[in-house]
Amino acid sequence: MENLGLLKLQLLYYGIRAGEGLPSPLANPFGLVHLVLPDKTPVSVHRNDNGRESPFTLKKDGARFHLDIADRECVPVKWTPPLTCYQKKTSSGLPVADILTVHGDFIAVHPSHACRFGQSGLSCRYCGSSKELSQHPPFTPRDLVEAVQIVLKEKRCDLVALSSGRVDTDDGGVEKLAMWVAEIRKHLNVLISLDLVPPASNDWIDQTYAMGVDAVYYDTDFFNPNDEPKKDFEKHKTRQLEALEYAGKIFPTGAVLSHLVVGLEPLEETKKSIDLLIDRGVVPVLTYFPPYDGSSLRARWTATPEAIVPLYAHLYERLVRTHINPQWVQQYDVVLTPLEGRFFSEQSARYHLKLKHFYETGFGRALRFGLAGLRRHLRVREVPRG
Amino acid sequence: MKIKIDTRPLWIVLLSRWWRFPVYVLLGYFLYRSYGLTPPTGLTIEGFRALMVFLTCLILWVFHLLPLPITGLFALVAPPLMGVMSVKQAFTFFGSEPVFFILGVFILAAALLKSGLSTRLALRLLRSSAKSPKRLILQVMFASALLSFIMSEHAVAAMMFPLVVIITQALQFQPQGGSYGRILFLAMAWGCVVGGIATMLGGGRVPLAVGILQESGFGTITFLEWSRAVFPIVLVLFAFCYVLLTRYYPIDVDSVEEADKTLAEQVAKLGRPLLEEHFLGLLLVGAVLGWMFLGHRIGMATISILAVVLLFMFRVVSWEDLQENVEWGIILMYGGAIGISSILNSTGAGLWLAHTYVVPHLHSPWILIAVLSLATILLTEAMSNSAVVAVLLPIGMSVAKSFGLDPKVTVFAVGTASGLAYALPMSTPSVALAYSSGYLRLKEVVVPAAIMVAVSYGALLLTAKFWWPLLGIRI
Ligand code: SF4
Repeated sequence: MENLGLLKLQLLYYGIRAGEGLPSPLANPFGLVHLVLPDKTPVSVHRNDNGRESPFTLKKDGARFHLDIADRECVPVKWTPPLTCYQKKTSSGLPVADILTVHGDFIAVHPSHACRFGQSGLSCRYCGSSKELSQHPPFTPRDLVEAVQIVLKEKRCDLVALSSGRVDTDDGGVEKLAMWVAEIRKHLNVLISLDLVPPASNDWIDQTYAMGVDAVYYDTDFFNPNDEPKKDFEKHKTRQLEALEYAGKIFPTGAVLSHLVVGLEPLEETKKSIDLLIDRGVVPVLTYFPPYDGSSLRARWTATPEAIVPLYAHLYERLVRTHINPQWVQQYDVVLTPLEGRFFSEQSARYHLKLKHFYETGFGRALRFGLAGLRRHLRVREVPRG
Repeated sequence: MKIKIDTRPLWIVLLSRWWRFPVYVLLGYFLYRSYGLTPPTGLTIEGFRALMVFLTCLILWVFHLLPLPITGLFALVAPPLMGVMSVKQAFTFFGSEPVFFILGVFILAAALLKSGLSTRLALRLLRSSAKSPKRLILQVMFASALLSFIMSEHAVAAMMFPLVVIITQALQFQPQGGSYGRILFLAMAWGCVVGGIATMLGGGRVPLAVGILQESGFGTITFLEWSRAVFPIVLVLFAFCYVLLTRYYPIDVDSVEEADKTLAEQVAKLGRPLLEEHFLGLLLVGAVLGWMFLGHRIGMATISILAVVLLFMFRVVSWEDLQENVEWGIILMYGGAIGISSILNSTGAGLWLAHTYVVPHLHSPWILIAVLSLATILLTEAMSNSAVVAVLLPIGMSVAKSFGLDPKVTVFAVGTASGLAYALPMSTPSVALAYSSGYLRLKEVVVPAAIMVAVSYGALLLTAKFWWPLLGIRI
């Protein structure tokens, strides 16, 4: 039997070839094929028909799908057709696909269309092509709410993730997203997460939680060796870590997340970064975006799926030991989630899996949303200034 | 206001925010159970139920389980629900005269604030050239106290506060610096407290006390009677407070010339008084004279409402301006407090309570006055002074009646004592405002405040012993 964790990593690394007689369209508008591996493990895979490397071919056998793997046993999979609602339009005439992207049970939105990738013209696999996104017409919070409502009619989603894009302001991007959060809160019963930069003062973190945000992804920049070293690097790093630690106390346990990009630096370094984050109550999300087959970077890429397995095992085990809830990581089809690190570990994941399955029920979902609201109601206070 | 996230363990947060719920349920259950119980001997069924409602309101008021006005409303609807009286009867307590008197007084005070006349008066009282630091303290106290004769003390404090801030800024003080800034803020707060007991206009508690007396059928107290009875206390406390503030804390400035200049600038900024201010001033003088000399004949409320009508006839202020400056909620609280106290009296529950539980332990009317004033002074440090009046006076009056004393005596004692709060920020809005300046810390205030409390208590008892008999108030 395949190790499902490793299989998912390999799929992210190699992509798939498409066999004969597959339905069309096979992929979503951003080129990703949505599959569900056994044990309800979702993965969104890019097509690698022309590549030399991919050992995986998606095949259809009657009504069933399976992955045909070179020299290995076939693995039954489920194929999820791309959402038809992407083509639908909001009342102002904007197609849903121009506004948001759906991954598993979360919806990714980039209100400003101005992330680093979007500006540079590079293509990002995470939420589709930023290059194209940045050329889309701007939309309003009202459009977004309508688009989410359209999606929700077709598919159950639990969380809307809003990205602030690349910001240099003290608030880390919160202010810019406030009106979007307010509009979503007003009309929809969903969880909200924001992608932000750690702010200059902790008051912004209080503000973020109070305005109705359930989880935050902080985009730290001191981990990435490719970035230009900043002036006052140490001071900057200390402040960012301080902000992460503070946020860990404000948000529910496990709801403060930060990306660590796997493969750009030696794996030992990434392991240290995992510990650094977990020690501050932050859940590291290991994003594994290996360069596509055929690119020059791919030739130099050493972080193969097999090589990075210990990292995921380490992450999972440390989370279990520190009692940090791994359920908040929603990007589960384009990354291997911390909870999926269980495939590489001896530690039992029974409790977390039970909780995950409970949250997937109607009652569990309602309870989760209700408790998130109640927690906010209890914790947020207004106090006199000074 | 700013947002803060409470990071204490969730169960503590839950307990601190929702502890009231189980108490509400218990109180509801208590009322429900008492509905079916047989009253103790000597008490009618209505009296028994009225007493249960009173006890419930007492708990709600003392522990501030609901906003005071909401408890007031509850006090009005609970007796009909418990079958003590009809709904119609219960709601008539809102029509009691003191409620309308205080409504008028609040509106006039709001007009004074809004028009800027009170600020002009305060600046007049504060400004005089070449002041010494001690003189400035005296003037801050004097202005605060004198204005509290005609406006409720918290309105005066709200108006004086920015002026004192301007003075401290002009003198370049820092909150954690020397002690002169602290003295100024205390002079403002305690000046308001002392001045606030002098007349019926210094706050709502005296009209409330008089209202409770009146609606319980024990006669009334006129504007002049009140001021005559408490004036010696005001004089003694004012003088003592000045001496205490200037002796207890070191005066660590040599000159206050800068403050004087700044005050002069403020006066200049105000310009000439407007026609409206002149009119308002005249109206106020007329109203005070009316309360003093005609109040007992045509009614205190009639005069204050008439003054308000004139205010609007001459367009001195607009209704919108007033709306945000009047404490409408207090009116509701007073209606309820007067109502429940009157019900206690009419059903005989107050008297029964006094006879059964209080009178056997008090051996003379003097002990009653001493205990009642002490309880009031101590409670008012931690509770709203109107709530203290609402809780203590109905029982006090019943006990007084059992001793054959005129219940008015208890109104003088409780009404005065409930205004004398000095130490804690929650005691009265003027003290709370002084704390909000950042210049005061409890540990630096507690000793002089305790001295003020002791002297206030002594002054009240001595006045009751030697001055009140001269006015025909005998204990
Ligand atoms: S995932 Fe990040 S980098 Fe990729 S398009 Fe979205 S915002 Fe840009």
